[in-house]
Amino acid sequence: MKRALEITLGILTAIGGFVDIGDLVANAETGARFRMNLAWVVVVGVVGIVVYAEMAGRVASVSGRAVFDLVRERLGPGLGLLNLLASFFITALTLTAELAGVAIALSLAVSVHYLLLVPFTTFLVWIVVWRLPFETMERIFGLLGLALVVFVVTLWQVGPDWGSLLSEATHPHVPSQETPFTYAYYGIALFGAAMTPYEVFFFSSGAVEERWGRSDLNVNRANVFVGFPLGGVLSLALMAGAHLVLAPRGISVDSLSQVALPTAFVVGKLGLACLLVGIFAATFGAALETGLSAGYTVAQYLGWPWGKHVRPREAARFHLVVMVTLVGGLLVTLTGVDPIKVTEYSIVLSAAALPLTYFPILLIANDPGYMGDQVNGRLLNALAFVYLVILTVVAVATIPLMVITKAGQ
Amino acid sequence: MPDGRVLYAGMSLLDRQLVDRSGRPCGNVDDCELEEGPTGALHVSAVLAGPGVLATRLGWRRLGPWLEWVGALVFPSPVDRPQRIPFSRVSDVGSAVHLAVDADELATMAGERWVRDHVIRHIPGNGHDAAE
Repeated sequence: MKRALEITLGILTAIGGFVDIGDLVANAETGARFRMNLAWVVVVGVVGIVVYAEMAGRVASVSGRAVFDLVRERLGPGLGLLNLLASFFITALTLTAELAGVAIALSLAVSVHYLLLVPFTTFLVWIVVWRLPFETMERIFGLLGLALVVFVVTLWQVGPDWGSLLSEATHPHVPSQETPFTYAYYGIALFGAAMTPYEVFFFSSGAVEERWGRSDLNVNRANVFVGFPLGGVLSLALMAGAHLVLAPRGISVDSLSQVALPTAFVVGKLGLACLLVGIFAATFGAALETGLSAGYTVAQYLGWPWGKHVRPREAARFHLVVMVTLVGGLLVTLTGVDPIKVTEYSIVLSAAALPLTYFPILLIANDPGYMGDQVNGRLLNALAFVYLVILTVVAVATIPLMVITKAGQ
Repeated sequence: MPDGRVLYAGMSLLDRQLVDRSGRPCGNVDDCELEEGPTGALHVSAVLAGPGVLATRLGWRRLGPWLEWVGALVFPSPVDRPQRIPFSRVSDVGSAVHLAVDADELATMAGERWVRDHVIRHIPGNGHDAAE
């Protein structure tokens, strides 16, 4: 049991990255619009995040340095600052959406307008950041997030023809009612969701918070190899469920309540209850992940003390940054912006900044000065390099595609 | 620091994490001060840390000195140039730059102390140890 609890960091990181408020809707929407034709992108994304999160976790375990520390060290202060501004903006934007997401998840259960709940949920997020030990936090929300396995149960209950589902996923084509541009745009959104930079900020900082050392390299691998593929499975199950249940009924997805429809149709009340718990945990976990990451990135760039492993007063500026970001997110949410649009934009925009985060990780993972005998092997470097090329192509294509498709319409 | 170890300051020093005697982070190496020795060779005489130093290094020649001026105004220091940490206080250079001083003695941590004393200390639970 104790060993099983050691992988909750990976589970929380992945759930907060793969099935947070925007991804829940984007995955269901993709399933309803593109059937299984974009499933391969999720697989490509999972492999990519596994490759780079493993490196980031290994660097943190061996050298005690978290990702944004490396970004500054290898990109230099100028490019590092550019990445800080971009990453902070994206992370804060996602946080804003998650704060609304937690409130929407609650409002589905208690029938109060979500804007009335947002101040309360934001306060809850802050209390957890301020008081709860990192490990307790990661266990509570990682384990509760597992309730989303109900997506897999839903798919099971639908009883699809697994063979045709698989063959559809392995023979992708652009559906007739879509253009190659919208296909590529949604592909980038799925890829960006799998590789959002705040996942590696949070994961590597979490490794430092939990004081991983050289002896924890197995724990790092277990976290990465279980957590992220699990996130990928959940997102694929959601996609397939929406494809099989919603598409035939002509329902398109643009809000969180529609994401719950397949489960409500197929599994019933108990399933819906599980789903609400899971969505609450996933959005709350994502709010913690992004809120803390906002503090981690700024503090690590500037060399400040940071983290929940020290008393709040010993990481004063770090906590101040988190608080200010939370208040900013709350104010933006209260204007009534559509949180789903906000995350979709932030995911796609983050795709444009990805190489600036992943390139320094690859450099340091090859530096014996940091890593000693734990430097990358050749095969891993080849794979990581292929992904760096993909990331760069995606980064260049993102903004033009966003303009051409008018953000996927 | 052992004498005579050759370091490429640009690679091994700049932008590294500064860590105090007890392992607490206390800023980044934002710039280095070089001094010419008797033989004419340059050596690093001090590491510099602080937003003003960083801004100057990034090429913002007005913003940098202004930030240092504001810093000196808000966080008065008995030392002439509080951003400067003499290289004699550096005890080791690895993936971080280790200092043989306590973070509380460093003028570069004045901002941290200010936020702690004026903001964080007023919130209940600021001293509770989350690791326990």
